[in-house]
Amino acid sequence: MSNAPAEEIPTADIDLALANHVIDKYLTLPGNLMPVLQGIQEEYGYVPKPTIDLVAERLNIYPSQIYGVLTFYAQFHLKPRGKFIIRVCVGTACHVQGAPRIVETFFDKLGIGHAETTPDLRFTFEKVACLGACGMAPLAMVNDSTYGSMTVQKVGEIIADYSQRPMKK
Amino acid sequence: MVNLTIDDTQVTVPKDATIFDAAKAAGIRIPILCHDKKLQPFGGCRMCLVEVEQMKGRQIPACTTPVTEGMIVRTTTDEIVKARKLVLELLLLKHPIDCPVCDAAGDCDLQNLTYEYKVNLNRFQDEKFQHQIDYENPLIERDMNRCIHCGKCARICDEIVSYGAYTFMNRGIEAKIGTEFDGPLNCEFCGSCVSVCPVGALISRPFKFKARWWALNKVKSVCSYCGTGCQLTLGVKDGKVLTTIYDENQGFHNGQLCTRGRFGYQFVNSDKRLATPLIRKNGVLQQASWDEALTLVAAKLAEAKNAGGKAVAGLVTARLTNEELFLFKKLFKDGLGSDNIDHSAGYAHAALTAGAMESFGTVASPAAISDIQASDLLLVVKTDAYETHPVLGFEINLGVKRKEIDLRIISDKRGKLAKLPKAVTYVHKPGQEVALVNALAQVILAENLQDATATGIEGFEALKQQLADYAPENVAATCGLDADAIKNLARDYAKAAKALIILPLGLGYPGHGKALAQAIANLTLLTGKVGKEGCGVLYLGEKNNSQGAADLGVYPTAGGADADAIMTGCLNGSIKTLIVAGENPVVSYPDRKRVEAALDKVEFLVVQDLFLTETAAKAHVVLPACSFAEKGGTYTSVGRAVQRINQAIKPVGEARSDFAILNGLVASLTGSAPYADVAAVFAEIAATVPAYAGLSLAELGDTGAILPVTIKPRFVPAGAAVIPVESGKLALVTGSALYHCGTMSRFGEGPMHVCPEGYVELGRDDARALSVKEGDTVVVKSASGELKLKAKVGTRMPQGVVFAPYHFGEASVNSIAAGAAVTWVSISK
Ligand code: SF4
Ligand code: SF4
Ligand code: SF4
Ligand code: FES
Ligand code: FES
Repeated sequence: MSNAPAEEIPTADIDLALANHVIDKYLTLPGNLMPVLQGIQEEYGYVPKPTIDLVAERLNIYPSQIYGVLTFYAQFHLKPRGKFIIRVCVGTACHVQGAPRIVETFFDKLGIGHAETTPDLRFTFEKVACLGACGMAPLAMVNDSTYGSMTVQKVGEIIADYSQRPMKK
Repeated sequence: MVNLTIDDTQVTVPKDATIFDAAKAAGIRIPILCHDKKLQPFGGCRMCLVEVEQMKGRQIPACTTPVTEGMIVRTTTDEIVKARKLVLELLLLKHPIDCPVCDAAGDCDLQNLTYEYKVNLNRFQDEKFQHQIDYENPLIERDMNRCIHCGKCARICDEIVSYGAYTFMNRGIEAKIGTEFDGPLNCEFCGSCVSVCPVGALISRPFKFKARWWALNKVKSVCSYCGTGCQLTLGVKDGKVLTTIYDENQGFHNGQLCTRGRFGYQFVNSDKRLATPLIRKNGVLQQASWDEALTLVAAKLAEAKNAGGKAVAGLVTARLTNEELFLFKKLFKDGLGSDNIDHSAGYAHAALTAGAMESFGTVASPAAISDIQASDLLLVVKTDAYETHPVLGFEINLGVKRKEIDLRIISDKRGKLAKLPKAVTYVHKPGQEVALVNALAQVILAENLQDATATGIEGFEALKQQLADYAPENVAATCGLDADAIKNLARDYAKAAKALIILPLGLGYPGHGKALAQAIANLTLLTGKVGKEGCGVLYLGEKNNSQGAADLGVYPTAGGADADAIMTGCLNGSIKTLIVAGENPVVSYPDRKRVEAALDKVEFLVVQDLFLTETAAKAHVVLPACSFAEKGGTYTSVGRAVQRINQAIKPVGEARSDFAILNGLVASLTGSAPYADVAAVFAEIAATVPAYAGLSLAELGDTGAILPVTIKPRFVPAGAAVIPVESGKLALVTGSALYHCGTMSRFGEGPMHVCPEGYVELGRDDARALSVKEGDTVVVKSASGELKLKAKVGTRMPQGVVFAPYHFGEASVNSIAAGAAVTWVSISK
């Protein structure tokens, strides 16, 4: 496939320079689609639609195919994600230890459901399968921090804690 | 070759065959759902399971398994039947059983196989899909609840159409076929995906709830839009053409069509069709009887004849059948004693009738469609070849992607073809084609790359002398290309073992005339690349019968007036009577103002047409003619394929075929008996036009014939016209939009849904400089007029060049373009 020169697709708010830079980096690498998409997600925190069109044009791949790849792999996100990713385990051990109530409480307090993000982009909530620490069930994680033996009360504390943290990097 | 046994039958097949292919060759049917002969093997549905003795009875898919020597295959054991039943049961688990309201019923592979395998109860249970149905799209309705995940739609759109609209999205149980962001379908609407979908997940929306499949009468015909000559099957009921039906066994294209062929048939039964003849009385067109109208026309023609035939002229569309064109020519030659006839504004057939005629001694392409895939290198002049002849575009896609044929494009814009792998596009300044092709020829001579035969061809020395001026260094700047790029292209072309040049023609391409055809012919003759497989030139005539019109000599051959001279004649009063059959010069000939003035001036104007076109509205007598679905006859298409069309419905309203109208007029003016039927005229064509010798209508059958061609080569130096550059202006080039062909597609629902009006397309840089955004209305102004058009902004147009398609009656581009290859315009908001 012939690779096109950098091309600007005008959009309202997405700065494509970052994506162009990622594409430049992998332009000549065979099988460059995955690293390009991963790089773009790294830059923007998700894969914005205009970057898909840009990748399609510059790598000469159909946008539909890129979308297929993005929806096939769970690692990719097509919508902006929260600064704090809350993951609650719903594996067997955690389930038995009361994970459903923990999940419900997060839903209530955050006002969002599974795989959704609060409008202020502070929190994204996800149910996940066994996190491999069944001894600490029920288990929750916020970004890289782990919270074991979760209770309804702890849910409130975690939210209060992270609500006060700064949003900037 | 490989020998194997299938169900006790011995078969010998080529070694790249699959078990499915071998069974087919032996006349044994293996059921399939995801397999398609046009597509790469996929092996997804497991409907085609068979047992191979050497594999200890293991069940393997026949559609993907290659044959091996001595294989013993069983296609229907109890175990296999059970396995196939299971496949069907699992599919029916999710598939809604809404056959009573599904348009595919009767033509649905799942329904038919369920019936065949008697799957009358299901051991399993599951919830059905709850996907949203896309009812919004005007042409293709997508109901993914009915989808069986065979992937054929996505594969055909990728492998053959090269558009890539669909993908499998999501994973596991949520997987479905969708578009980018699961949004609306916004594609070329060729309908290929609808054609191959084995179920009712993709259906033609214009046909929805129109008729059950089994109630349709299926009539084979040929598409009446572009010159590709795709075969098609019309679905007819109650005297109406309700749809086109996919038949994978039709034509070189395996039944695939473009959007015009697939969704453009509605003009046939359009309620805008003329119902009766019209005669102008007191300045107004009024309904009249055929008797009255024909008597009047015959009397006026008799007058014209008696006056010597100099003051009568005829313009005819290359959409008529060969038999009708023959009668048109005969009416003028024998009936009226006039040579004032022409078609396609003259310039749109000059590449054949003047260019090829002088260079090759024939008016036909010295190549056939089959040469596309047999070549090693395709040199396409303008990416527009895809827009003008989309199904030939599919052939190019296939050749480039599957056979790894090299693709070189010289073009004034980028386009879809330029995106193909290995495509190298040389974007040159508009109107510089002849100079560029001459430069290629010059390089070939300068670097001694010519074929040994070249020096023996008449005119070699003169050509050599003329080409001396066209060294790449001399033309590089005017062409806007690097001298080295030109040299590389020349070397690639000369060194390819087989190379084919593809040249689209048409009313939108005034630069593709005699000189360009000759420059191209010189290139093929210099390199010995003509008259061999995979070589030569394929002239893509614009209309369904452009080649036929050239073959039959529907242009002045004895010093008569050509289209342009006819307009002049009308204006200065030397032509007083004009018959226009199917042409719409007001919209499609250069310089609308001049054409309108000419037609207003002519004393007696007769127009035969399906519709009250802009031209017909000026007539004194309008005769309602039949569409291709209402008559029989032959068309000759690109690559000299002569094929039959068959009458599918009775004439609409009081319409009469051009054949009937002209047959009557010829008889009354020559005093001879009318021809008995179409076959009789075809017989006379076969007797008088050498290329058609020996053919008969009956013997053409459903497949048609490829006409022979012999060439008498001659080098004819082709001079490049100087294109005056107007600084500060934009270069407007005209052409064809993918969804349209000529001015007739405006009466097809399909093309009009997708592309309802004219537009002007700009590159991003020019758009930014003019602060023009997609969808803005802009004023395009040239020396001959100005026009308001919607702007389209994209990556196709290079800086300084804009494009406008010509098909539209309102805001027709000929109001600003007067027939030059490049029109200089300014654009403002
Ligand atoms: S209509 Fe043609 S271009 Fe559109 S999705 Fe179907 S196959 Fe692709
Ligand atoms: S929509 Fe039709 S062609 Fe496409 S995957 Fe589904 S069943 Fe197959
Ligand atoms: S318009 Fe041309 S390419 Fe399209 S279906 Fe008709 S003949 Fe084929
Ligand atoms: S089940 Fe929750 S961590 Fe294992
Ligand atoms: S037809 Fe062979 S696996 Fe589908």
